Amino acid sequence: MKARIDFRSILALVAILAVLLPILATDTPWPTEPRDYLAEHAEDETGAKNIVSAIYLGYRVFDTMGETIVLLVAVLGTIGILTKVESLVGDTQQTIGIVSAFSLSAEKRRSNRLRTHLLEVVTGKVGPIVLLFGFYVMLYGHLSPGGGFQGGVIIASGIVFLALGNQRGETSHLSNSEKLVHIETIAFLLLVIVSSSGLITGSPFFGNPLDHTAVPVGYIVVLNAVIGLKVGTSMGFLCIAMMGGTD
Amino acid sequence: MTTLLLVLIIVLAVCTVTGPDLLHGVIAMSAISLLSALLFFILQAPDVAITEAAVGAGVSTVIFVWALRHTSRRDDEGKD
Amino acid sequence: MVDRLLLLILFLIGFLTIVAKRNMIKKIFGLNIINAAVVILFVLEGSRIGMDAPISNGEPQQFVDPLPQALMLTAIVIGVCITALSLALAVHLYRIGGTFDIDKVKERLHDGL
Repeated sequence: MKARIDFRSILALVAILAVLLPILATDTPWPTEPRDYLAEHAEDETGAKNIVSAIYLGYRVFDTMGETIVLLVAVLGTIGILTKVESLVGDTQQTIGIVSAFSLSAEKRRSNRLRTHLLEVVTGKVGPIVLLFGFYVMLYGHLSPGGGFQGGVIIASGIVFLALGNQRGETSHLSNSEKLVHIETIAFLLLVIVSSSGLITGSPFFGNPLDHTAVPVGYIVVLNAVIGLKVGTSMGFLCIAMMGGTD
Repeated sequence: MTTLLLVLIIVLAVCTVTGPDLLHGVIAMSAISLLSALLFFILQAPDVAITEAAVGAGVSTVIFVWALRHTSRRDDEGKD
Repeated sequence: MVDRLLLLILFLIGFLTIVAKRNMIKKIFGLNIINAAVVILFVLEGSRIGMDAPISNGEPQQFVDPLPQALMLTAIVIGVCITALSLALAVHLYRIGGTFDIDKVKERLHDGL
């Protein structure tokens, strides 16, 4: 069944076992100091009731910014490799035929034996509900489980539903690739602007400009919304471009 | 309860990597994501559970099915 | 203790898949399995010290450690980015070589160039 069980793979397996087994087999107690500190001070310092949101938007917000950059680079690389795929096959007519065989628009589809009316009706009606749920999860991230990443991937699923559910050729504006790219670039610009807005009042970069006013939690809500939009439109654009695009 | 879910995840992982049909492997990966989302809910981690469920069942399965659709579905490894 | 050893077995299954299988899609399955094993390990370790979900509601309570959960959110999203990029590379190699088998693609590249 396995193709290459030879001496080197067994050696690698034994090496990994020798490194990981002493770590995982001992029973050291997990430290409780971070949890105790956060239980007392997190709500006062950041204003959010959801401690996980307070961590990744308050105490460790540079990790979040790095993660948005990694998303950007991954989408750029994937789209770059995809367009290069189309130009390697010599015959351009055959390339266009292969790539758009699973296309989303109704005219270019080659084999529509499985794309029945049922799929389009159900996904077209469920799509806006999923988008609404995604916006709710994104904006209530500071009070209940949720936040930027979670709402963002739910919005991406909603965009995929809307792109699959076009009937009679009427496509939704949200499944247009250019509009998704525009929303993503605007979200990234807003992230840079919001993060440097603390510099006006004397706080450091990513500092909270509303820290001594009545609502310090508004900063977390705005950051959640911007990150959710960026993650959602990035992944939605990735999925739609892989499915062949809508044009 | 966590031990039972982990044993099920291991069985599904073995089923993913030893099988001649790649589409069955993709469905088994989606089932691993579902079971680990349930495991995160039991371990009192609701944020991680939402993210894993949406990512595993939504985005990851879609891009795997795209890759198999544009290429071949069989894994003819032990046949020649 | 038993749970951590089961997670070690899951990690080794994923690692052996990457090393020993010839099909590129099976290697990408192995990457995903390793990712899932590490994420479950961190969340499991963090949940040992408490009983409630980390949402504060005014009174002092013993909830689980929220720090591994915040780190694993980023890890899951980066895992799906890695899967997308590696799948694009695998489809590209399929177009060049005609098969997903990595030894045959290497032979055809050596013959062609």
